[in-house]
Amino acid sequence: MEHNYRTDLWVDWCPGCGDFGILSAIQQSLAEIDKNPENYVMVSGIGCSAKTPHYVNVSGIHTLHGRGIPFATGIKLANPNLTVILDGGDGDILSIGAGHFVAAGRRNVDMTIIIHNNGVYGLTKGQASPTMPRGLKTKGLQRPNIYDSLNPVAVALSVGYTFVARAFAFDIKNTKDILVKAIKHKGTAVVDLLQPCPTYNDINTKEWYEKRIYYLDKDPTWDPIVRKADEEEVEKKYLQGIQKSLEWEEKIPLGIFYQNEFVPSYEERINNNIPTYFTDPPATSKICDGNGLPLARMDKIFSDRLIRK
Amino acid sequence: MSEVDIDLIIGGPQGGGIDSAAQIIIRSFSIAGYEAYGIREYHSNIKGRHSYFHVRIKDEEVRSLRYPVDILACLDSETPFVHMYDVTKNTIVLFDEDVKGTKLNQVLTLEPETKKHIEEKLQSEGYELTVSGSLEYMKKRGAILVPVSFRSLVNEALGPSKPPARYANTLGASISMALMGLDSEFTMSGIASVFGKKKEVLEDNEKIVKVAYEYISKNNGLKIKKLGPKTVRERYILTGNEAIAIGKVIGGLKLQTYYPITPAADESFFLEGHDYFDELSGGENETLRKSGVVIVQAEDEISAIAMAISGAMTGARTATGTSGPGFSLMAEAIGYAGINEVPVVITLYQRGGPSTGLPTRNSQADLSFAVNAGHGDFPKIVLSSGDVQEGIEDAVKAFNFAEMFQLPVIHILDKNFANSFYVVDGIDYDRMKIKRWKLPEKQEGEFERFKFTEDGISPMGFFGKNIMWLTGDEHNEIGHITEDPETRDAMMVKRMGKLEIAKKMIPLEDQAILFGDKDADVTIVSWGSNKGIILDVMDKLKQEGKKVNFLYIRMMVPFPTDFVTNILKNSKMIIDVENNYTGQLAMLIKQNCAININKYLLKYNGRHPTEDEVYDGIKKLIDGKSNRVVMTNGA
Repeated sequence: MEHNYRTDLWVDWCPGCGDFGILSAIQQSLAEIDKNPENYVMVSGIGCSAKTPHYVNVSGIHTLHGRGIPFATGIKLANPNLTVILDGGDGDILSIGAGHFVAAGRRNVDMTIIIHNNGVYGLTKGQASPTMPRGLKTKGLQRPNIYDSLNPVAVALSVGYTFVARAFAFDIKNTKDILVKAIKHKGTAVVDLLQPCPTYNDINTKEWYEKRIYYLDKDPTWDPIVRKADEEEVEKKYLQGIQKSLEWEEKIPLGIFYQNEFVPSYEERINNNIPTYFTDPPATSKICDGNGLPLARMDKIFSDRLIRK
Repeated sequence: MSEVDIDLIIGGPQGGGIDSAAQIIIRSFSIAGYEAYGIREYHSNIKGRHSYFHVRIKDEEVRSLRYPVDILACLDSETPFVHMYDVTKNTIVLFDEDVKGTKLNQVLTLEPETKKHIEEKLQSEGYELTVSGSLEYMKKRGAILVPVSFRSLVNEALGPSKPPARYANTLGASISMALMGLDSEFTMSGIASVFGKKKEVLEDNEKIVKVAYEYISKNNGLKIKKLGPKTVRERYILTGNEAIAIGKVIGGLKLQTYYPITPAADESFFLEGHDYFDELSGGENETLRKSGVVIVQAEDEISAIAMAISGAMTGARTATGTSGPGFSLMAEAIGYAGINEVPVVITLYQRGGPSTGLPTRNSQADLSFAVNAGHGDFPKIVLSSGDVQEGIEDAVKAFNFAEMFQLPVIHILDKNFANSFYVVDGIDYDRMKIKRWKLPEKQEGEFERFKFTEDGISPMGFFGKNIMWLTGDEHNEIGHITEDPETRDAMMVKRMGKLEIAKKMIPLEDQAILFGDKDADVTIVSWGSNKGIILDVMDKLKQEGKKVNFLYIRMMVPFPTDFVTNILKNSKMIIDVENNYTGQLAMLIKQNCAININKYLLKYNGRHPTEDEVYDGIKKLIDGKSNRVVMTNGA
């Protein structure tokens, strides 16, 4: 029987929320990839987006505000055979969790980060998030926003993410296609998912986006993938991605900005130091015999601590 | 009584090889069959500031250090100033005569406050403000001065091209051992044991030892006592940090996360160098194979604890190690581990707080915080260790308890433990049993990770084995969010009830130990690295005919309330000994047992408490001269 990727919980987002589209796209992408459902783990931080794991019928861990990335990392490092997908909000990942977002780019653990990008903190009544431009006064704000916004795609590229893409929550088919590629990517994939908030962001609405978005892959010359492991190729594709990421306001590109699978994953780097890492990963490695006697022997460790003539 | 009992301090600039000197001394005496134990004191600084190693040598187990010292080895011009109070009649002070003329004001590494104290003291006693002045002051206290020209001895041993400062540590250590009367054969072996891997370095250092011994026999011949060889056995030198690392790996550690912080990071550092090790195959025909432990240097302590928690829920035995500032950052996540019943171990090495405080100095002031870390009510275990043997075994027990009762375990230690050099006989694997309980079975369909069960412990589930949900929100048995009041009540009762289960299942000797007779006039209560000092002081008081016992508390949560109450309710006098300002263990006793403790012996200057000051303090408290004595030893 086919696995049902929906749980039977009532989904408690506001009617018209972009998160519904993201949820459907996730469920469809998991079904399409068709792994053993036990091998998926959905991770989230805190906020509206953070409910997502409860609505997907695979293991889920709803964690602390801003800490989705380290929680996801711990799971993957303990068992590199699992497929780990993190849903975070723009405040979650780019404000309180921004340090983790930078560090994760440097690690390149094989996992997927989905940023639910709506420009506001929904659950706390619509405060401005790091992606809301300066000067905007959405209806939840007392005064226009006096912070400048950051560009999630450009930040992701600059800190070393090896797959950076953008999708629009209300184009479920395209979002699903991008998520499948992100999940299959070796290394950390970041998807900036434009997700209108119908309750608190009355400026960047579904209609606002629909007038501006366009698809990068409609241009047959657009090639975001690093094809060979040489510096020139990497630089070319990287700069092209950065340049594209600067487009906003009039025209908003969707699709893959950059992908490079030549960068070793963090797990591969561990396996270089510990050659049994993939074959005997931490989560399933035996630690004692049937009588509880520990297996680890410390004789070698002790050798330079040995005191003798 | 130990026939041999020598305290030595060797001091010099940070980065000047004090650590190697410590290794040379401990290894040499251990090779000769003696017992040795020492602590390193240092500034939060890489190079230049004053650092020293305090060691005691006996022919029986060394459990404490003591002032005044028998030998003060000064490798630079700062040491005689800052340690001039640490000497008494017949203390041997060896110093570099080339720096005799150095003025107090020329010692730029001295902190102005310290300089002022020294200046006032020397001036009031009528000594000049130079190294010579401080030496003369020590002479007046009864010290025997042994001048050595470091430059000419290094020159004699290695020629003029070698910088004397580089060999000051070996030279100072060798002369000290020559003065103690340790046969040079053992010092040579100690040197070989420290530098054995680097041939050229070893040869140079051997020449230094030779010159040092010749110098002492020619010019001095002064010996505290001729130390002959004892029964020799192979032993190991370990710091507290290393002992915990080893205990953790034996206990099944597979993923350790950390963010660099003193004095915790040395544990993870050591593990990084030993992350690929031998293990038994565990089958019928026992063979050796390779295994690993993944050490992750995270971007901060919040990340470190988060990775450890989720790694634990994926099935690995995981831990993180930190100190006060990092532990403060972890508090929220510890609550997450509490509500999600996650078996994770946090090794907390206390240092002087609050804030950055005294980052490289000792403290026991994080006990209240560890006990209460995290918002809301949730169960955790807080256990402490007092010495290296306990430390290694407790590292295994911490994992066992975490897994059996499905909760975070805080293993609370301190800087004195972390930076002590211990000599151990090796590992008795039979004492390090791994206990597993309710490990997950692979199961199809819906899995109730937080199921209410007869025995009060839910079935464990791991990502990859079971489809399950975790959330920091209150949740139902499946792990989905609920705010239903009845479920909330039941979940609270289930979680908190585990503390009672733990208290029943954990052996009493892992919770608290009473040393000495039940019947006593004075009961000392303390915890952690004070253990050995108090045992030594208790022996001394007993010899004087005092009826003293010692209630040593190992587990702070859950608290061994009945055991402690039964002992303390009949005590005639209770003295609380702790390295903090507020008497945090006494507060915990009051909270749990409704027993007031009125006499305190405390220390919070960050330096290691010593046998003499604990002895003096307890005597003062017994005599009723004071109810609160603060210990101040240490430069």
